[in-house]
Amino acid sequence: MGAVSRELCAVSREPDRQVLLPLCSVLGRLTWSENREDMLSSKSNRLTEALEEANQLFSGVSCAREAALDAQFLVLASNLGKEKANELRSEITTFDSLTFAEDLLTFMGINRTETEGNDSDSESMSGGYLPSNAWYKLGEEAEKYFRRAPSFHYMLGSFKSEPPVPRQRIERQRKAPGGEGKRAMPAQLKKMEESHQEATAKEVERILRLLQTLFRNDPHTPISFFDLVVDPNSFARTVENIFHVSFIVRDGLARIKLDDDKLPVIEPVQNVEERNDDHSTRARNQVVISLSHEEWREIVETYEITEPMISPPDSIEDEMETA
Amino acid sequence: MSQRKRSRGSGLTQGDDEDFSVVPTQSPSQVQRNLESRSQEEIDRKVTELVQFLLVKDQKKIPIKRVDILKKVIREYKDVYSEIVNRAGRTLQQVFGLQMVEIDTKHHIYILTSTLPRVEGENLKQDIQTAKLGLLIVILSFIFMKGNSAKDSAVWEFLRRLRLNPGEKHKVFGDVKKLVMEEFVRQKYLEITPIPLTDPPEFNFQWGPRAAKETSKKDILSFVAKVGAYGGSPFFFFFFFFFFFFGGGGAEGRP
Repeated sequence: MGAVSRELCAVSREPDRQVLLPLCSVLGRLTWSENREDMLSSKSNRLTEALEEANQLFSGVSCAREAALDAQFLVLASNLGKEKANELRSEITTFDSLTFAEDLLTFMGINRTETEGNDSDSESMSGGYLPSNAWYKLGEEAEKYFRRAPSFHYMLGSFKSEPPVPRQRIERQRKAPGGEGKRAMPAQLKKMEESHQEATAKEVERILRLLQTLFRNDPHTPISFFDLVVDPNSFARTVENIFHVSFIVRDGLARIKLDDDKLPVIEPVQNVEERNDDHSTRARNQVVISLSHEEWREIVETYEITEPMISPPDSIEDEMETA
Repeated sequence: MSQRKRSRGSGLTQGDDEDFSVVPTQSPSQVQRNLESRSQEEIDRKVTELVQFLLVKDQKKIPIKRVDILKKVIREYKDVYSEIVNRAGRTLQQVFGLQMVEIDTKHHIYILTSTLPRVEGENLKQDIQTAKLGLLIVILSFIFMKGNSAKDSAVWEFLRRLRLNPGEKHKVFGDVKKLVMEEFVRQKYLEITPIPLTDPPEFNFQWGPRAAKETSKKDILSFVAKVGAYGGSPFFFFFFFFFFFFGGGGAEGRP
């Protein structure tokens, strides 16, 4: 390719049509893709012929435009030359991509059946059914050859920035008033509170009747406080029971004391006189009971409480409760 | 010591870009002084933020630019950048078994790779990423066997034999062409360059920098041999020998 080594002529004159046209045609031949395969085939000398032809033409190159074409030709030809060299090399090493493809299909678990009349492609493709997990199976094998960092994802999902819907909050407060003190209820609930108080009074009444029934059956044994109030199925109900029982004690209808084992027991106050006496003469005792979830669990285990003594009421509100 | 507070409300103006394109080079004593001017908690917090940032950014396997790290995480702590990055690297290694690898030294672009050896056993999580890796290894193997670069026509002809058609919607991969030509390229697994002066335009397929860091020619050769052995083809024993002992069969890197 002697063209480039020649000096570019500074004289601007009309490009010689004798040189330009055939040069363009050689260039065109090289660019046209249909020809490429032919050019690149190891069996053909077409590339070499084109090169020689261009080389001869370049002896006539003497102005800038022709030289530019010359340079372009150089680039193109060298690309083709490189490709041809590649092709040659792969032929020597005989990488059989067809066999490799077949082996891959085998690995992926292809089910080769000869019976089905597969859609005939012009390329002879092997028939067979590729299972749906084919690529997953291959991917699983592939992972062994990569040092890919596993994708990081939070296990429990990402944090949602919107605050919870207020409606839920209201319902929760209605469910568990708690002996630990009433929570401040939002203004909207004032209307509900009255019916809530009625419900409380009803509950208290119910528990009192239960207590009196239990005692009638066995008047001389005080009932263990925890056996009475603890509901092994619900911590919230346990707290509610304590709350309701506290009303009974406050009104003097029952009395809590410690037995010989220093465990709290409850017994109803039978005597009407005693009741009245209690209010005026006897000293009032105030007790604060705190009960944690864990403590509740321990009591359930220690006392072996399997069933609640105070059965859950079947009022509408409590139906909405989720234990 | 009060620090210049950067208002987070300000958008990405030209000024911000200029500030974060350069990291000051400092002497060790300068770095030490800068470190001392900040509390331990502040630095630790930045390290944690950086680790989280890197992990989340790596989810889609798009390489991470240092410019983004500076702009979105480091911000006003630019003067202790190197210390933060070092500590973050230690955390990544010790806690996650990962490391930050630079794949572009000019523009400072990083990826995360695993430093732990692969354990034999069933992969617990098999999702679309697993399937895509299967496709990727096939393409990388083909490119490697073709002497580290292959023409797109050859690649697609090969893939067609595996029931993958660039024009059709595939049951697993959907738009295969988009996956190969765009996603794998964006993730830097493949490098696809147009061949000059071709009409209609043709492309050259090569390994991308991520592929070079996450696997190796030896690994891919093992894979090819394993698959070949699976099919019982004798060819592969031949050129397993040939390639293994005589190198990759082509120029390392760009031809």
